[in-house]
Amino acid sequence: MNDVIQIWQFAIPIALAAVGEVISQRSGVLNIGLEGTMLGGAFVAAYVGLTTGQPWLGLAAGIGVGIITSLLQAWFVLVRSADQVVVGTAINLLALGVTGTLFRRAFGESGQLLSVPTIPKFDGLDAVMLATPIIAVLAAASLRQTGWGLLTRASGEYPTAVEAEGFSVRRLRLGAMTLGGALAGAAGAYLSVGIVGSFAENMTQGRGFVAIALVTFGRWHPIAAVGAGFLMGGLEWLQFKLQAQGSGLIPFQLLLALPYLAALAVLVVGAKGTRGPAALGQPLRRDA
Amino acid sequence: MKAFTLIGTAMAALILAGCTGGSGSSSSPSVSPAPGAAGATGDFKVALLTPGPVSDAGWSAMAYDGLKAIQIDLSAEINNQEAKDTQIRDAMRSYAQKGYDLIFGHGFEYNEPAIEVAKDFPDTVFVSSSGGQTAANVGAFRFYLEQGFYLAGYTAGLATKSGKVAMIGGDDVPSIRSTFKAFKAGAEAAKPGITVIEVFTGSGQDIAKAKQATLGAISEGADFVIHQANAAAQGVFDACKEKGVWAFGANLNQNDNASGAVVASATIVAGPAFLNLAKSVKDGSFKGGIALMGMDQGAIDFVLNPALQDKLTPEVVTAVEETRAKILSGELTVPKDEF
Repeated sequence: MNDVIQIWQFAIPIALAAVGEVISQRSGVLNIGLEGTMLGGAFVAAYVGLTTGQPWLGLAAGIGVGIITSLLQAWFVLVRSADQVVVGTAINLLALGVTGTLFRRAFGESGQLLSVPTIPKFDGLDAVMLATPIIAVLAAASLRQTGWGLLTRASGEYPTAVEAEGFSVRRLRLGAMTLGGALAGAAGAYLSVGIVGSFAENMTQGRGFVAIALVTFGRWHPIAAVGAGFLMGGLEWLQFKLQAQGSGLIPFQLLLALPYLAALAVLVVGAKGTRGPAALGQPLRRDA
Repeated sequence: MKAFTLIGTAMAALILAGCTGGSGSSSSPSVSPAPGAAGATGDFKVALLTPGPVSDAGWSAMAYDGLKAIQIDLSAEINNQEAKDTQIRDAMRSYAQKGYDLIFGHGFEYNEPAIEVAKDFPDTVFVSSSGGQTAANVGAFRFYLEQGFYLAGYTAGLATKSGKVAMIGGDDVPSIRSTFKAFKAGAEAAKPGITVIEVFTGSGQDIAKAKQATLGAISEGADFVIHQANAAAQGVFDACKEKGVWAFGANLNQNDNASGAVVASATIVAGPAFLNLAKSVKDGSFKGGIALMGMDQGAIDFVLNPALQDKLTPEVVTAVEETRAKILSGELTVPKDEF
């Protein structure tokens, strides 16, 4: 049981970010900048948590950073119809540079091992761990059953039809991106003030990209994406246990790659007939 | 209208260009004089290349502190950047062309590129932290951190109750492997048949993985843990604190870590080594060669945490001090890899 709780805790960042990315992608926006958004959230959450001593304030600040980042991205992607991949990549690089510079400015050029208070846990569980499945279910239900969900999905499939019906694709995508940004910010914040209580430059280490893979893995379904995240987390824990048991037969590099190899295998075997949102990644141009 | 797309894409590209330029180096040279001019006029210029960010509170941070000492004591102009793999040669050449007198590469991986680049820049001195090749203007100093790790392993071997101790590594590089071998040798010398767990996370910046790896090792029974995780070390210490086991600091003195779990640290005192080397380059007495910087020069130390002294029995402390004396006198040679 302890192992399950622990796997769940370490899987939260990728799972939360993946739910946000599902919403964003269903509206037609591919957010490559997830990694950078998470890193920004992680830094600000750690900074606020450290200066105020309140991890919850840190989490809130992380969500705020996620929203601001998604608004910046939305301006390029929705208003200026810029290429989504280019903008997302720019966000990743921007976040890496800005968080690194601010970290050095705040804690010295040679850095510090920060110790930030973490979100309180009861029997290993905390509120974010409990909220994540609820958020996934809510996201799945709203996408499927509400008018907003239908319109959001439609703007990811056939945006011109949505426009013809008199709805604004831009506004729908903005809403989806903001939700996605908030969840990515929360995911990053949970990494720093939920799991480790610390910050290091580039500490997200590719988790944003793993979350993007989970979206495909989970076939653009929030609950499936969270399940896939939990599976990845389980394999991650398994490989650390195997390393610690130290048979020495399998090189650790291979063990480290185990979760990714498994994900790839599932994709190859299970992805038959899956199809992403038809208009994913395509900018909407009203004047085209 | 295509114009909008073009403007949007161009702006994104500008941001992209802006931050790649900005994040790579933490300080940019204020002036870049014509090649050759600076070397002649006597402005002493020193550059540092590190494998990771200098804010890692570990390996790269200590070199940066050494560089700052050179700036203050020798009123040198300094610059630094991260350079890995193929970037190393380019970074070395561009510093050399700008007239830098001394270029440090902080790791064994800078030794080979230094040999190659140094041929074209005879007036510039290249020094790497460890590495086996030298030339008239290429040298290396190798920090004998294995001595500190051996003592840590010896301490762990004497004090362990479970008979299992662990080593948590970030990046898998030969220098880290070598210190782990020394830790293991020390632990086995103190307690034959001891189990030494080794786990790598593949990253010196992933705090969460460092924590999870440590939790994994502790769940297998480890009750003393040493790390080579640099910026991710807090994850190791926090896992130890959570589970009530003890940790060792590495590279820098981390005894006062907020976790309160660090019983001792195996440290490198790099400042004097960097400063003395820079002095010898400045006055022209540098001859190349490899310097082994160990405990006898005061470059390596093993520092017990006075606040947690009661966690180790007096017998353990005495035995560790005896072993330290043996290393210092040369009676005991700690194993180290050549790379």
